[in-house]
Amino acid sequence: MKNKLLKLGIPGWTFKEPIEELFKKTGYDFKIDEKSSAVYIDDQEIDCFFARAKELCPLIERGILDGGIVGRATRAETKTKLTEVCDLGSLYLGQETKIVLAIPEKSKMKSLKDLKGKKIITRIPEITKDFLMKNKISASIEFSDGTNEAKVPSFADALVEFTNTGATLKTYNLKIIAVLIKDSVILVANKKSLKDKWKREKIEKLAILLKGARLAQEMVGLMLHASNEMVEEVLKVLPSLKKPTVTQLRGENWFDVFTVADKKEIRNLIPKLKKIGCTDIVEFPLNKVVI
Amino acid sequence: MEEKKLKLGIPKGSLQERTLKIFQRAGFEIEVPERRYILNIDDPEIECLLLRPQEIPKYVEKGKLDVGLSGDDCILEAKAKVIEVCDLRYTKQIKRLRWVLAVPKDSKIKSIKDLQGKIISTEAVNLVKDYLKKNKVKAKIEFSWGATEVKPPRFSDAIIDLTETGASLRAHNLKIIDTILLSSTKLITNKSTWQDKWKQEKIKDLALLLQGAVKGEEVVSLMMHVPGGKLKTILKVLPKLKSPTIKKLTGENWYDVTISCDTKETRELIPRLKRMGCQGIVEFPINKIVR
Repeated sequence: MKNKLLKLGIPGWTFKEPIEELFKKTGYDFKIDEKSSAVYIDDQEIDCFFARAKELCPLIERGILDGGIVGRATRAETKTKLTEVCDLGSLYLGQETKIVLAIPEKSKMKSLKDLKGKKIITRIPEITKDFLMKNKISASIEFSDGTNEAKVPSFADALVEFTNTGATLKTYNLKIIAVLIKDSVILVANKKSLKDKWKREKIEKLAILLKGARLAQEMVGLMLHASNEMVEEVLKVLPSLKKPTVTQLRGENWFDVFTVADKKEIRNLIPKLKKIGCTDIVEFPLNKVVI
Repeated sequence: MEEKKLKLGIPKGSLQERTLKIFQRAGFEIEVPERRYILNIDDPEIECLLLRPQEIPKYVEKGKLDVGLSGDDCILEAKAKVIEVCDLRYTKQIKRLRWVLAVPKDSKIKSIKDLQGKIISTEAVNLVKDYLKKNKVKAKIEFSWGATEVKPPRFSDAIIDLTETGASLRAHNLKIIDTILLSSTKLITNKSTWQDKWKQEKIKDLALLLQGAVKGEEVVSLMMHVPGGKLKTILKVLPKLKSPTIKKLTGENWYDVTISCDTKETRELIPRLKRMGCQGIVEFPINKIVR
């Protein structure tokens, strides 16, 4: 029998730590070694190939790889036709990665129209080009890699750059005047590979696990005891993402309630539950949440 | 009355971090003060010492320590007569530690038989002696203080050394021609300690917790909501031997099913359960599992 293998592209650098953590949460032994460009995964049916996301996109499009993990923006920048299997959200927990157009705080430019004839530096010229075209602005675009924030206004009038918190832009006295696109990490596949039943199932299974692990990073498990009189109020307060499990405690008028909740909600939730009168509130970490 | 105290030896070096992690999962907090070898453990009945792994078997044998953690390689090398309480092997580890016989890539030595009259460098002299004797080969064994890989071909013809991935051996142009010992970690004690009733019980409890913690690394807890009509079919899919906990959701024809299963099993199980109609599948890590 032919050995079945899913060839998967894995990016590194900024992606390294979050991706390693995600795979570990799914239950894989997974390691990225950037120095030797090697990726180890304890699944004989998956062969990982390590490269920059920018290089992975065309390799997946051509079918040299069956699928991979790339950025939504990178897919747009490389203008490759890749099928999205699932969206894994932002690379950084609780943050949103965006591509923005920024200018110096003191600049005389007030709106996009003022960019006419100006110079914009960026590491993502294709996305920038499309954006300018859509807004009918003609400006010169120059490719520039590295710390572009430091180059404005000395070398250019504006820049198009990735940002998470906007902190770097602020440091260099730049202000955002437009958001081009929101970036997120996506699991993509080659169209032809998806027609192969085994490959399709393999990558879909992987998607369920990765997505489950991603969701679990944002959630916690919650267990508590509530009396009969409290239950109704407790259920109203609890998030409804997953139906809470309510079990009666043996021989008592009390119930055990189990649910999952958003990490961000938990700060407000626990004091609220305590106030209602709940006891034995236990919070614990989760590996995967599949709803 | 003599103060009841169990003297415990923890190996310093490569096994240290993992050992401390296992103890933590088992419920013991151990603090390692900088440059000090008496560790603070939050159990007044245990005195905890950090020692070179090679020394632990001897001290346990002589009764200077009541109990210790040590690899079989160190036990064999020290020729220590100790009692093995339990095996704490970490099966999920990517590659296992092993003692191998390696020679330069271009060497004429092809097997152990060719070692007759040659020089072997090693840190584990006794281990090698036994190995040669078993194979009826006479060769000169030279003790090496470390950096053994660098010795052939200038200082010796072959080495017997500890390796995990083999990377360091490859880097020194050496090839493995035989595996002598697969090493795993053991909890060891001595006869006179074992005869003390209190100590024996204390060690048995410790072994139970440590084994539970090792197993807990490989096992996760899986919780899901199952529609009443599908309960039977789904119970058939769940791993056997692990009787699931089934609770009926209050006032609904849904059940909450909880099982524990191997981390690796979840890769196939979670996608399958989702497809079968389970909802709200939540996986969470566990610290210990004692069956």
